[in-house]
Amino acid sequence: MMGAAIVIAGASLGAFVRDDGDGKSERDPLPGLAWRLNTPHPWIVPDDRANPLAVADKLAARAASIDRRAQLRAFEGAPPVIPHSIQDLNVQSCRACHAEGLRAGDKISRMVSHTYLPSCTQCHVEATGFLLDANAIPPNEFRGLRSQGMGGTRAWAGAPPVVPHTFFMRTNCVSCHGEFGYDGWRPDHLSRSNCAQCHVPAAEFEQLSPTFGIADMAEGFAPRDGP
Amino acid sequence: MSTVDRREFLKASALAAATAAAARASGISLPILEPQAAPSSSAQALRWDKAPCRFCGTGCHVMVGTENGRVVAIQGDQKAEVNKGLLCVKGYHVGLALYGRDRLTQPMLRTQGRLVPISWDKALDIVADRIAADPGRFAIYGSGQWTIGEGYAANKFIKAGLGSNLIDANPRLCMASAVTGFISTFGVDEPPGVYDDLDRCDVAILWGNNMAEMHPVLFSRLVDRRARGEKVVIIDLTTRRTRTSELADQVLFFKPQGDLAIANGIAHQLVKNGTCDTAFVAAHCNFRRLGEPGADGAQPDMLGVPMTFEEYAKALEPYTPQRVEELSGVPAESIVMLGDLFGRRDRRINSLWCMGMNQHTRGTAINCLVHGIHLLSGHFGKPGDAATSLTGQPSACGTAREVGTLCHLLPGGLSVTNPGHRAIAEKHWNLEPGRLSGRIGLHAVELFKRFSTPTDQGGDITTVWVQVTNPAHTIPDLNHSIRRKAQLADKFLIVSDVYPTATTELADLVLPSAMWVEKNGMYGNSERRTQHWFKMVEPPGEARDDAWQMIAVSRRLFDRGVPGMRDKDGRWLFHTADSAGKEIPIWEWKRYYSDTVVDERLFDEYRAFSRHKHKDLAPYREYVKARGLRWPVVQNSDGEWKETRWRFTEGSDPYVAKGKGFQFYHSVTKDDRALIWFRPYEPPPEVPDAEYPFWLCTGRVLEHWHSGTMTRRIPQLHRAMPKAYVEMNHLDARALGVRSGEMVTVRSRRGEVDLPVWLGGRGDPRPGEVFVPFFDENPLINRVTLAAYDPYSKQPDYKKCAVAVVPKA
Repeated sequence: MMGAAIVIAGASLGAFVRDDGDGKSERDPLPGLAWRLNTPHPWIVPDDRANPLAVADKLAARAASIDRRAQLRAFEGAPPVIPHSIQDLNVQSCRACHAEGLRAGDKISRMVSHTYLPSCTQCHVEATGFLLDANAIPPNEFRGLRSQGMGGTRAWAGAPPVVPHTFFMRTNCVSCHGEFGYDGWRPDHLSRSNCAQCHVPAAEFEQLSPTFGIADMAEGFAPRDGP
Repeated sequence: MSTVDRREFLKASALAAATAAAARASGISLPILEPQAAPSSSAQALRWDKAPCRFCGTGCHVMVGTENGRVVAIQGDQKAEVNKGLLCVKGYHVGLALYGRDRLTQPMLRTQGRLVPISWDKALDIVADRIAADPGRFAIYGSGQWTIGEGYAANKFIKAGLGSNLIDANPRLCMASAVTGFISTFGVDEPPGVYDDLDRCDVAILWGNNMAEMHPVLFSRLVDRRARGEKVVIIDLTTRRTRTSELADQVLFFKPQGDLAIANGIAHQLVKNGTCDTAFVAAHCNFRRLGEPGADGAQPDMLGVPMTFEEYAKALEPYTPQRVEELSGVPAESIVMLGDLFGRRDRRINSLWCMGMNQHTRGTAINCLVHGIHLLSGHFGKPGDAATSLTGQPSACGTAREVGTLCHLLPGGLSVTNPGHRAIAEKHWNLEPGRLSGRIGLHAVELFKRFSTPTDQGGDITTVWVQVTNPAHTIPDLNHSIRRKAQLADKFLIVSDVYPTATTELADLVLPSAMWVEKNGMYGNSERRTQHWFKMVEPPGEARDDAWQMIAVSRRLFDRGVPGMRDKDGRWLFHTADSAGKEIPIWEWKRYYSDTVVDERLFDEYRAFSRHKHKDLAPYREYVKARGLRWPVVQNSDGEWKETRWRFTEGSDPYVAKGKGFQFYHSVTKDDRALIWFRPYEPPPEVPDAEYPFWLCTGRVLEHWHSGTMTRRIPQLHRAMPKAYVEMNHLDARALGVRSGEMVTVRSRRGEVDLPVWLGGRGDPRPGEVFVPFFDENPLINRVTLAAYDPYSKQPDYKKCAVAVVPKA
């Protein structure tokens, strides 16, 4: 399959039709309500987005995305730094690109993962500030927590995986798992819009859970490599 | 083995309770933890525990993730009321502050100009020798980064141990005018309001306060309400455009010092329009003005003389909107708007400020005036109606102000000049009557002036021990203060710190300190909230707790027979015993954490002081459980410890009598009333002229905390804000012919530094004004600033002096 695939919204809601240019049409399995709500141009889906990767490719892409994501963070859970310059006195301009996410050439601007908070620069700072001498980075021996990134545990093959991170400040799943998210992190069922119906965060990641920080699984849940 | 975490402590506390009761009955000092209560968990697992953030006075709680004895991650603590899971960029990266590669890990003595490693034993002997040789010329200088226990140990060391009041701390440069404002108005320090006001106000007025960068989490508590569909109006009274202005509804630019005129203009409008809350004022307020200067030109007393409402109204008459516009530059119609706003009873108004009002040669006056307009209009003591100062250091309130590590205070808000207060302290410390000195010591600016003056020319301070702060970076007019120390052979500077700083550069002896979660500690934030954390990781190398350093020197002096280091029964000032009454040698580092919780022992002794000014603190173990508690914390009849939100308000403050509504029970006038002050507009001590045509304002930026010694070692923060700059208006830059990135010299009558220009950057000053952040140790902007200070608080003004800006050829 070559070139950009064009997905055209059909006349009736939810009836998406893909035209690969060969005259044949088929129902597209991907776009759903969440997709359309979160994507500025839901009718256009590039080819590489529209086709779920083969499993082996997906695992490789997933691992690569973990590394890419980590590059902008001191540790898992730290707010990412901003990999571009910003207008200091116009923080509201963040929303122009990050409210819904967009793609410009080979750059992706991800959608905000949390509910809208107006003071963006409270947590996010430029990776390269004005007047930075590249050779003057202070040596620091901190080694941050890293995400294993290989998905959550499943009770059995085919069970929906548990979310391997907190939902706090990550309520907008499509930020990372949607159109402008990370390669290898998109599910094959983006048409489903209520993620939390099937996927719950593991209690060890949720501060307000009494089992916060305790990784042991409760009785009755088999570990991944268990019998 | 040496680390005790929260769960184990609570378990052990329960077990210890019975023994403790028995011990109390028998008069033996408390056993705190039995040695067998060692952690049982596996060393490999990721563990999370709570701590307040190490940086500003907001007092956010973080969850600290540790693995294999190292901090590996930080989260905002969702159980914390202050920040509800959110942090700012400094807080998220606070864990990295421990791991800069150049941590100080061994004591070092300057030998032939170089700092050479020595043993702790030798280092402590040197400190003890210096003190014993001339205790009357020895001073301690600390900060609001001391934990409560550390500040308490230092304060007791010098006031009880050496019988002098030669101790001061960085809050003198930071919060002193807020303190004199509270004391002048309410008779007692610290804000009546709380952060809940941020959630409840209709209007927030920021008085020279760039909250978006300085207290970002509190600013978010305001602006995030908009994202929830609530309406909150933000009025930014400022001298330059900042990130705060970007989210404000109204930005009112004023000329430096114009805040005094604005506040008087608002009061004038309330009086003229008849919109004062006459019922509130009649029931709860008196009017006050300064008395006449003494015959020798001496400052009139800070507590002033009475005036009638009519006299007050008359004094305000000159402050018409037009006159205020001339003085402040704020348009007359905006002054009328502010007057109308305060005149409305259906709006809840929260005034907030920090260094803009405090670092001010009329800091006491402007603090009093802002409290005054809130009282005059009745915008007081109801949720959302408050005038609240925000603090810059994590325990400026908890340690410096409450423990009283200042030259005029004793713990618990008691005063060294009050014989009754000294007697209380002598009783708590078991000292013979008359041991404590009634002479006020030296405030920060004066302390370092004396230290930097040759001893035979009146420089009667010869040894200073600095802990947890960086005065060779932060004292104003550095060239004529502590930086001169380098030329004086008979002065000796001892510095306890975690990294090399501008101060260790001048030090004769450097002591490596443990920091933050490398030790047990407690902080107290801006809203009277006392917070606790336990040690989670070991400090690097031979770094040790500041409190231990003080205690170990005290023990050496005790062993040498220095009389002040014992109480009236001959026991050492820091005597600590186990449950059998046997002394625990806490002066030995290996026993400091293993046999007891020294932090608890210090806190519970200090706690007795908190009752005298209604600043009641709960027992240590209550803070172990809580995400901080706001004092007064009073025990209910059911045994529960209950905190206080709105002070002086019936129903919230347990010390307000039933039926009173409001009661200012520490009233200066002893009649349960607060004081509404008249203070006139007065010009600043230095104004721009032909030779020095610009106003210079200094301050912080979001990424760096104070002198940057921690945040500049955090790659994410350093990369975002790598060095200092001078921010100026583009019209001035054009007139000077300079562009962004080009170098200029910023020069005052006192000194000069070279800086790159940044136009249209983080902030945008008005024409004729420039701004320079002070975090950078390379161009030290405090070589340029002015040492003039408020006559009452002794707090210097870092916000306005006259400079020239000269392009570099």
